[in-house]
Amino acid sequence: MNWSLLFQSYGSVFLNPQVLLMTLLGAAGGVLLGAIPGMTATMGVALLIPFSFGMELIPSIGLLLGIYCGGMYGGSISAILIHAPGTPAAAATLLDGYPMCQKGQAGKALSIAMFSSFCGGIIGALVMTFLSPLVANVAMKFTSAEMLMLAVFGLSVIVAISGQSIAKGLISAFFGMLLCTVGLDPTYSAKRFTFGVKPLYSGLQFIPVLIGLFAVSEIIAGVERIINGEEKQESSNEKIKEVLPDLKTIAQIWPQIISGGLIGTFIGAIPGAGGDIAVFVSYGFNKSFSKHPEKWGTGIPQGVASTESANNGCSGGAMIPLLSLGVPGDAVTAIILGAFIMKGIQPGPTMYVDKLDTVYCVFAALMLANLAMLIVGCCGVRFFAKIVSVEKKILYPIILVISLLGAFSINKNVFDVGVCVVFGIVGWLMNKFEFPLSPILLALILGPMCEQNFVRFMDLNNGNFGAILGRPIAIGFFVVAVAVVLFSIWNQQKINKREAEARRAAAKETK
Amino acid sequence: MKKLLALAVALVLVMSLATVASAAEYPTKGISVICPWGAGGGTDACLRAFCEALNKQLGVTLTVDNLTGASGVTGHEAIADADPDGYTMGMITFELAGYKAQEMSDYTYENYDAICRVNTDAAAITVNTEWAAANGITDVATFVEYCKAHPGEVMMGGSAAASVWHIAGGYLMNATGIEIKMITYADGAAGAVKAAAQGEIQGVTVSLAEARAFIGNGLTVLGVMDSQRNPAFPDAPTCQEQGFDIIYATQRGLAFPKGVDPEIRAKMEAACAAAIEDPDFVEFMANNGQTISYMTAEEYTEFLAQAAQDVPKAMEAVDLL
Repeated sequence: MNWSLLFQSYGSVFLNPQVLLMTLLGAAGGVLLGAIPGMTATMGVALLIPFSFGMELIPSIGLLLGIYCGGMYGGSISAILIHAPGTPAAAATLLDGYPMCQKGQAGKALSIAMFSSFCGGIIGALVMTFLSPLVANVAMKFTSAEMLMLAVFGLSVIVAISGQSIAKGLISAFFGMLLCTVGLDPTYSAKRFTFGVKPLYSGLQFIPVLIGLFAVSEIIAGVERIINGEEKQESSNEKIKEVLPDLKTIAQIWPQIISGGLIGTFIGAIPGAGGDIAVFVSYGFNKSFSKHPEKWGTGIPQGVASTESANNGCSGGAMIPLLSLGVPGDAVTAIILGAFIMKGIQPGPTMYVDKLDTVYCVFAALMLANLAMLIVGCCGVRFFAKIVSVEKKILYPIILVISLLGAFSINKNVFDVGVCVVFGIVGWLMNKFEFPLSPILLALILGPMCEQNFVRFMDLNNGNFGAILGRPIAIGFFVVAVAVVLFSIWNQQKINKREAEARRAAAKETK
Repeated sequence: MKKLLALAVALVLVMSLATVASAAEYPTKGISVICPWGAGGGTDACLRAFCEALNKQLGVTLTVDNLTGASGVTGHEAIADADPDGYTMGMITFELAGYKAQEMSDYTYENYDAICRVNTDAAAITVNTEWAAANGITDVATFVEYCKAHPGEVMMGGSAAASVWHIAGGYLMNATGIEIKMITYADGAAGAVKAAAQGEIQGVTVSLAEARAFIGNGLTVLGVMDSQRNPAFPDAPTCQEQGFDIIYATQRGLAFPKGVDPEIRAKMEAACAAAIEDPDFVEFMANNGQTISYMTAEEYTEFLAQAAQDVPKAMEAVDLL
């Protein structure tokens, strides 16, 4: 441990006004981009790369990391307030964030999301700096077999997020898996279910489906409520005294923050797995180990904390394979890798030996980026929370326009707008018949990962699936997946029993 | 009402005059440039840098528009379908040569007026160092010999299905008569390179730039499929210098939709010829590990015609057709 070098690096980052300014600008832009459905941190980073050419390495890394971290938090703002996850990594945040908002705790949900994001980011940064070579070694052991079983493990969370009926959850999940098969198949490039429609060649685009299922369906339901005269205007009675959660809340959520941050960091460190997977794994894990799993999904702080700490932990995690192996963990880090190479630095195993100063500078910049995100977030909480008090008749059309624009902007393709609307109707119908929507999402994220790695594994082993027995990590994931499924089923039965008792008790009272 | 009509007539006249004048004064307004691949990728980076250089030559703004989807078909078709007034062009890439054979699009190079080739990145035979050492493989000759002795056993990775690096494997098989098994990595070349370093597969057929993180650190370059060595990797030998005439690269160039005024085309071609030597662009490409390989419109059209024949043959070799 080279403390003087560490402090020196911190000094060169925190005392450099250009770095401070760039990081703050990046974080502000990232929060904004992240909050708009369809605009992602990846787009922000890609668009700003040309501006960073003229800068020194550290200010440009600060700018990019600012967007990255800001975008991760920004996605939760729209997930909590309007049921439209701004980024795929915020998709699990709405499970508890939106119910909190409906209970009139929008400000509280936002501040918890912000605080958890910050803590998750710090955990990720710490692991990145001090445990990186170790984590990278484990990540390097992940071949197709391990990735396949990691995806299976991720899918096992479906039961935990299914709600009352496991059967309905599974139906949703299989529907999602079926949707994944649309498009050119990943191995032989054969056309599947494309019906000669060219935009379907690359499959159903994830973000338009996401926006349709959650945001558009919510608008349709809202309009229906207005027509039936059931919509009541939530007046924002919530007084936001503090922009950060109070100590009592922090005491409630810290276990979720720590576990979420660590899960996020580790999953982020595996190339090919990112925030969108980590949030669901963290949510499912924390729900399963909760004393009151029945409260999850009804709007509790723990739910928001578990997902938001996980997705920001990912940003630190994704830097691990980037710095220690030269392999980017996701799309954003792929662009950051480009920025390093532009400046003549090739990240790789020697980075932690020869270029420790750069590693420490990145560490400091990551800390600064999380701090900048916290500052931007604090300034914004009161402002963002006001959206709830906008009259619904005015709010819904605005959200609809933003949603459809978001669906369009991913590929600049009108077809995707149609996809978004169709899935809006599908989502609305599924809600009516009480099918959970999140399993579709999880299947959409993990389906392609499962298929690609399964087919590749079979290809590599000439069709002998038994070869998986020689992969202990893969077997480990599979065993955990089975355990999670069994445990969640048992948990759900317990929840259903408790609820039935509560209903009977209530029925007695009314008699 | 009459006044309005008169105004409308005047406007139409002025506008038609403007079109007549446009060829001589081209360009008079900003040019829209379509990129069929996503922001942040290799094509996007190269195109944006080249547009900066073109801007200095033409004095008008060039706006890059990423029209992605359908494995690049969407963007490629959008370029061909654009109004051939000289104010919309785009970057066409290697993949165009395979679309018709795969029945993904009816468009071929004949639907475009090529302007110039900008960049090529050669594929390379890069193998796992440990595996190579264990089997006495030191160069292309010993690699080919080993593959001939073990037909269909050597597994090589080449990015996503039907991608340029996947087809590179087919090209290698056709050129040397060996039989290898190509494994696809849908997430892109990075996944294949990592798998080769891990030893899941024996090697990759991607470009040097894609494999750079592991070259000399788990992976060894046997031969680059180019006519000369890459200045960024002076130690990586070419296949040609080892007696194997294998040249294969991804390529990117600019093209108009078919039917643009020859005068406008000539102006754009001249601007490109100058922009390709722009020092900022040259430096950018060198730092990015991308090779500038300029071709004039005529040469490029000929090159595209050849590719339209060669690429489907290589695709057949890897079971894509």
